[in-house]
Amino acid sequence: MEAEAAPTPAPGGGCSVSAEEIEKWMEEAMQMAKEALESIEVPVGCLMVYNNEVVGKGRNEVNQTKNATRHAEMVAIDQALDWCRRSGRSPSSVFEHTALYVTVEPCIMCAAALRLMKIPLVVYGCQNERFGGCGSVLNIASADLPNTGRPFQCIPGYRAEEAVEMLKTFYKQENPNAPKSKVRKKECQRS
Amino acid sequence: MDPLGGMEQQCEDEKAPRPNREPTLWQALPVLSEQQSRDVELVLAYAAPILDKRQTSRLLKEVSAVHPLPDQTHLKRVRPSRDASRPHLLEILLCLAEPAAGKRSLAELLPQPAVDPRGLGQPFLVPVPAWPPLTRGQFEEARAHWPTSFHEDKHVTRALAGRLFSAQEQVEMQGHMERAVWMAQQAATGGLRAVGAVVVDPASGQVLAMGHDCSSSANPLLHATMVCIDLVAQGQGQGTYDFRPHPACSFAPASTHQGIQAVSVRTLNEDMDMDEDGLPYVCTGYDLYITREPCAMCAMAMVHSRVQRVFYGAPSPDGALGTRFRIHARPDLNHRFQVFHGVLEAQCRQLDPDT
Repeated sequence: MEAEAAPTPAPGGGCSVSAEEIEKWMEEAMQMAKEALESIEVPVGCLMVYNNEVVGKGRNEVNQTKNATRHAEMVAIDQALDWCRRSGRSPSSVFEHTALYVTVEPCIMCAAALRLMKIPLVVYGCQNERFGGCGSVLNIASADLPNTGRPFQCIPGYRAEEAVEMLKTFYKQENPNAPKSKVRKKECQRS
Repeated sequence: MDPLGGMEQQCEDEKAPRPNREPTLWQALPVLSEQQSRDVELVLAYAAPILDKRQTSRLLKEVSAVHPLPDQTHLKRVRPSRDASRPHLLEILLCLAEPAAGKRSLAELLPQPAVDPRGLGQPFLVPVPAWPPLTRGQFEEARAHWPTSFHEDKHVTRALAGRLFSAQEQVEMQGHMERAVWMAQQAATGGLRAVGAVVVDPASGQVLAMGHDCSSSANPLLHATMVCIDLVAQGQGQGTYDFRPHPACSFAPASTHQGIQAVSVRTLNEDMDMDEDGLPYVCTGYDLYITREPCAMCAMAMVHSRVQRVFYGAPSPDGALGTRFRIHARPDLNHRFQVFHGVLEAQCRQLDPDT
């Protein structure tokens, strides 16, 4: 509903998307987030779309890899790089015309990574109040950082309530993979 | 058993440089939070001379009851007059002023009968520090405007004076940064960006990972920090990337059982979170040495990885641990860590920034 507003053309004309495309790809990202939730992973799903083709998909792999940087976006970027290698295209020519569809606002790390990849457009669902890099904590997406890739355009708020509900459900059951906070540890000891 | 078995060499083998024991010209200085680093901000307040000194304690009590200044508890209420030519000796802070404040009379500022203004002179405007000083530098600046209380953080004061680390610790720090510099040089030799990093467990002094920037057009995100975080994961039996094309990048396999014993005796134990292997959550409790200040991606990766301390040699133009952001010291993120800059600064300044 909220994302009906027509996206303004990306700076430099790198990428623009229609409301139909947003609906289609975000539905797929939502399905991935639901699957993540069912496998007790942080419910974030994302897709990278180039020329109407999905070139990368991702969900959180932190626990599986013991690498806390393996967020959905980082996994999808690596897949898209693989796609470039297999199809013999240069990553810069692909990424500069690729849109990311993700259910939750990218964190500060992922926002900086998206800048470094020069992705022009990110469509996302709900805000990321804890780590958000597109305005919630910092605005890496639009910051003036001349040595850190390029700023990117955001279309926020697409099916945000649904995405928030999934996060709430996940955090209610508590993230079994995250280190316990001291407060929680003490509560556990007491009980 | 491990397809990357060839990489499982100890980090501290003969190819790495020996620590240089000669005295050197560098100092590790803390990168403080915005609150600790900012200049003193002033707000306008009304004060009045105390013409009859014997009324001081009564006036103090009555004025404080009417205008308690809950957000400026660092301000002392009474100061000695600074103008020796004035007849009065003391001045009392009455209340904060509106931004476009003008002259006010005692009657306008102090409701009667709650305050009996006997003994007070004509109110005047004075700039006072808006928030409590956190460092000695801020305190010196603040009290030049109005007397201010200061609860000194001895740790920060010692850190700012460069007295936080013993000579022995500085030798160790230099050794680790020399490894990072060496890694950066290895990268440069291979045509990669000259950024090097090392992860150390400070409890044992063990080097857990040595990495350099491996980014290329094929994978532009393999900054030295990201490489090191993945090498630590490889030391814990997981990880994502294949660094065989970059033989200088190496890790020490985490020794689970010794790890448990070592961890169980150290005082850090209470703060460490172990997973089912008895290893800490990713980089919890570890130090990271890096030649130049990390970018926003790498700095936030350190937050996610729960790094304990970061030492960098020289700043980077878009750096996120002091230059453009202070991602390590934000109350709104779920992990904070200490950052020091200046270790082997002269050498590191010759190397590439993290961008």
